[in-house]
Amino acid sequence: MAKILIPTPLRQFTGKQDSVTVPGGTVGEVLTRLTAEYPDLRKQIFTDEGKLRSFVNVYLNDEDIRYIGKDTAATTDGDTLSLVPSIAGGTAGGRN
Amino acid sequence: MIHIENDPWAAMVAHARASYPNECCGAMLGSTDGETKTVREAIALQNAFEGAQAARYELRPEDLLAADKAARERHMDLIGIYHSHPDCDAYFSKTDLQNSCPWYTFVVLSIRKGEFDHANSFLPNFDQTDAPKEELTY
Repeated sequence: MAKILIPTPLRQFTGKQDSVTVPGGTVGEVLTRLTAEYPDLRKQIFTDEGKLRSFVNVYLNDEDIRYIGKDTAATTDGDTLSLVPSIAGGTAGGRN
Repeated sequence: MIHIENDPWAAMVAHARASYPNECCGAMLGSTDGETKTVREAIALQNAFEGAQAARYELRPEDLLAADKAARERHMDLIGIYHSHPDCDAYFSKTDLQNSCPWYTFVVLSIRKGEFDHANSFLPNFDQTDAPKEELTY
């Protein structure tokens, strides 16, 4: 079981819950179960091809999963997953 | 629409002025009631862009994670991101759009010659192809 912290704008897709606990032995299994239980979340997190969207980072407790095995990283009871966006920008590049 | 209360607004402007001529960035915490978002606290975050920061900013995901935790502890929500455009209008640039996230409101502050000039708020879409303006009051 792992707890997933739901960012505020995504709580409309989880019945206003700010966290959801689902079973799964790996990060991939947990996210699959999460989006199976709350299908409207899927588009927010994954592309149509099933890959994490470019602006989505997943943290297992305080570690970025990219450095600990990505979706194969093992989860145990009491673990917390966070969905954290990648954000940058600036005037370089000019007006849109 | 998004409304920024006096204290966080003053903090955001002060941060943008202090960072001039570089870009600043930070998180906005508050609450959402229907279509209205109210910012009650601004958290200044480090511009982590590696290179000249006069025209670029980058947030560390770890810092955003910490801001989200702070919001939860204070019974608020992380509702948006702010950054400054030194000596430029407060538009949503190509770089802003290509590195945006549709989950959040983005407030841009124009700082000219070190002083606040104007600000706008934007709501980027999913495909990072457009970011309509959102009504902003402060």
